[in-house]
Amino acid sequence: MSEPKKEKKPAEPKSHGWMAEYDCDHKLLDACRKVRDSGYTKTDAFTPFPIHGIDEALGIKPTVLPWFTFFAGFTGTCTALTMQYYFNAVDYPYIISGKPFASWPAFIPVTFELTVLFAAFTTVFAMLGLNGLPKFSNPVFSNPRFDRVTDDRFFLWIDASDQYYNSDKVRALLADTGPLEVEEVMEDDTPDAIPRKLLITIFTGIAASLIPLVIVMNMRNSKSGASRLHVFFDMDYQPKRKTQTPTTIFENNRVQQPPVPGTVAMGELDFADPYYLGYDPDKTVALNEASAETRFVSLQDEEGSENEAAAAEAPPKLAFLDEFPDGVVTDEMFDIGKAKFEQVCAACHGFSGYGDGLVSQRANNIGAANWANPTSLHSPTVRPQPVGQIYHTIANGKGKMGSYGPTLNPKERWAVVLYVKTLQRSQDGEESDIPTGATVEELDLRPDAAKAKPAASNAEPGTPSEQIALPEKPATAEPAVEEPASEDPAATDTTEKPAETETPAAEPEKPAEEPATEEPDASETPAEEPAAEEPSTEEPATSESTTSEEPPAEEPAKESGSSESDE
Amino acid sequence: MASNIPNDKLFLPPSWRGMASVLMIAGLICIMLSAAICYLAGSSEVDGWTIFCHSYLANYVFCLTICLGALFFVMVTHLVRASWCASFRRIAELFAFTIPLWAILFIPILLTAYTKNDWLYPWALGPDSDLPGIVKNKLDYLNPLWFTIRVAIYFAVWIFAARFYFTMSRKQDETGDSEITLKLQKWAGPMIMLFALSVNFGAFDIVMSTDPAWFSTIYGVYIFAASMLSFFATTILSCYLLQRNGRIEKFVNTEHFQDMSKFQFGFIVFWSYIAFSQFLLYWYGNLPEETTWYMHRGEHGWLELGFVLIALHFVVPFLGTMSRHIRRRKAIMAGWACFILFVHALDMLFLVMPYEGIHLSFSLLLGHFVCWAGMFCLFVSIVLMRVGDTPLVAVKDPWLSESLAYEVGP
Repeated sequence: MSEPKKEKKPAEPKSHGWMAEYDCDHKLLDACRKVRDSGYTKTDAFTPFPIHGIDEALGIKPTVLPWFTFFAGFTGTCTALTMQYYFNAVDYPYIISGKPFASWPAFIPVTFELTVLFAAFTTVFAMLGLNGLPKFSNPVFSNPRFDRVTDDRFFLWIDASDQYYNSDKVRALLADTGPLEVEEVMEDDTPDAIPRKLLITIFTGIAASLIPLVIVMNMRNSKSGASRLHVFFDMDYQPKRKTQTPTTIFENNRVQQPPVPGTVAMGELDFADPYYLGYDPDKTVALNEASAETRFVSLQDEEGSENEAAAAEAPPKLAFLDEFPDGVVTDEMFDIGKAKFEQVCAACHGFSGYGDGLVSQRANNIGAANWANPTSLHSPTVRPQPVGQIYHTIANGKGKMGSYGPTLNPKERWAVVLYVKTLQRSQDGEESDIPTGATVEELDLRPDAAKAKPAASNAEPGTPSEQIALPEKPATAEPAVEEPASEDPAATDTTEKPAETETPAAEPEKPAEEPATEEPDASETPAEEPAAEEPSTEEPATSESTTSEEPPAEEPAKESGSSESDE
Repeated sequence: MASNIPNDKLFLPPSWRGMASVLMIAGLICIMLSAAICYLAGSSEVDGWTIFCHSYLANYVFCLTICLGALFFVMVTHLVRASWCASFRRIAELFAFTIPLWAILFIPILLTAYTKNDWLYPWALGPDSDLPGIVKNKLDYLNPLWFTIRVAIYFAVWIFAARFYFTMSRKQDETGDSEITLKLQKWAGPMIMLFALSVNFGAFDIVMSTDPAWFSTIYGVYIFAASMLSFFATTILSCYLLQRNGRIEKFVNTEHFQDMSKFQFGFIVFWSYIAFSQFLLYWYGNLPEETTWYMHRGEHGWLELGFVLIALHFVVPFLGTMSRHIRRRKAIMAGWACFILFVHALDMLFLVMPYEGIHLSFSLLLGHFVCWAGMFCLFVSIVLMRVGDTPLVAVKDPWLSESLAYEVGP
């Protein structure tokens, strides 16, 4: 606590304020409070580190900076939401991954970013503005003792602009707070103009930095005959030949050599093989010879009759395969087909193939525009289709159905065809499909069939099926029930139905339902009585061999359940 | 140092201790009452017992998350050598050390897994049921025995950590040995790793497996965010109530309140961030197996609850506790803490309850909140019993004097 020295400087420069120096923060805080209580407001403290409670001690009001931050952030939020809504939903509506144009969840990340961006920038610049920064010089720097403010000294400042400022009183007040030193700081009288050299350098620099931009702009808007500059010469001129240019290396002077005869490109093996096409290309050629001629003629002279023109326009008929290729009709393929059908096809066509898949139900529920109901695989148009045609439909699509070639490889396509054929057969069985002597229980391989067994074997005609129909969730099978009933009401008979429908063992409920609805019919048909009442009198071991497609249809039912007798 | 420590009342008000048994009885009655209400709330689609089980789980998780948040807070402040919180860390230690009692209250939940019923966990139906294939494939993991083992491991980790920190801190109360603080700090790192794993998998097992077909890798973080948020709310509220009764007045000052409130504010945002991240990815991906969880929460009144959560769990407290001037007012912050605890209960309801066939109805809400009241009474009772005559401040914590001098920057 040394005595404050008298100001020695000449009196002419104006006083900028008084500065007191302390060696510890507690003294500074005490001094601050004293100065604050004396009514001075244009004060400041300079310290090597932040001191808690200094703003309260100096009487500094809470900053308004948070309000800047808040409103800037809010502006950012609104800007982002408005901007995205306008861009995406109004100005340039564009479907992105099937979402609505105004996808609020998708807007949120950008909203978050803009909120933070606006808030952060505003905070920084408002802070600079509120503090009067940047400031390149301050008269306090003229005091050499002030250098220690970044080290171990604490300074209190009373500015000359304070309304109660009086040089002597201020000095007396500060001297009373126990400072190491009290010193008046004079206005800095050194010239404050920016040096001319510096200005010139700055402007030259700015001007020079614009030169590349000017050159680029000029280049982009003018034409030049000069050849371009090859910075990377060996990149522009590589030692290679391009396609369609001559060479002397090969005898035929061609860079691009034709493939060796007999070459098959990768992945192109399906070219002209019925297994990959679903139709026989040779037969197709034969089948279309006539129309091909017509087409040829109509192409030659354009006066062809309307019929001819139509014939020419018509797509060539394809000679679809009627029978499965070798190796398709196996249990393993049936399993693949069932799995793939349920993964890929069932969403639209439904698990039992009636075109009532969940997607379709949903589309109908929401009244989707342009929705075409999926074709029922049991419709009269689909049912007679040869296997090759179904294969072709899967591979290439048809109508609104897209191609599933990329999804299913040829083996899987055939497996699905096998399963579809099984499904069709399961809904369209004939009396002759029933193995004579088989019982309902034997044919019924559902997991819960075992439970129904005892009751079923003793039951009246018709009852067994009813009991099978009863267990679990009858409601789910509704759609499947209606159609077959309407399609061929008379021809069906109960025992035959379960036998057939059981084949796709995955859906126990649905097939089980049908017999129940058919019951009145069923009781009239005599054929079923022996089936129900004589269990296991004859159990031929051979598996059914109806048409080439059918055997696999019995897959899960296979040996145990099916018998060939009636065929 | 000793001279620095204010001579203040360090123990629970005696009247509070007497409340413990009353609260426990009240809690048990409320839970039973809720079982009755929930039973009546049952419908043809779902029986009331299932609703009650879900309500119990939701409220159980509500309480457990507070304790887990406390445990993490104790460990992480030791890990980073935080001094500011030394004056109220004992409160967090006490919350955390109630976890052994919560392990007992978990037993009813565990038993439902052995009943071959889908009251809580559909996977408990076992492989012979008609569970969807996607769940059946998970049965190697989600089966009662393995579930029990895992939950036992989680509780073992939590109880061990909570006990370790509590007993060591109590030991320091007597010896004043600052080596203990160093030891606690040294073990904080490994324990936090164990804690992170156990909370994550615990969240998957205890809460997420109520919908076993669904999965979300961020789910554990979601529960963690909710834990921290509810912990800070509970601590603010406890400190306020203790001070109202003349306890620890000179230990927890405005500065501490402001910092706890800041953390609470931070975790409001963190919760929103995690919850939204989870939603955004599933919404964008739009894959059936990932959206089922949200589909359940988009119907039967749960969608409205979801919007209520966005408003009450994010927007309102975000704007409400943003200002420094609010955070420095203890009574107002105590009010906000109550609000946060309420929305935390709503959040747990939203996490656990929506389930196939459960509709949001008045009777369900009534049953749920009666159960919540009961569980919360149990929580308070357990905490009071745990506190007993333990001093509420770790008086010989070497950081204490620094904590008392703590001041938040402007």
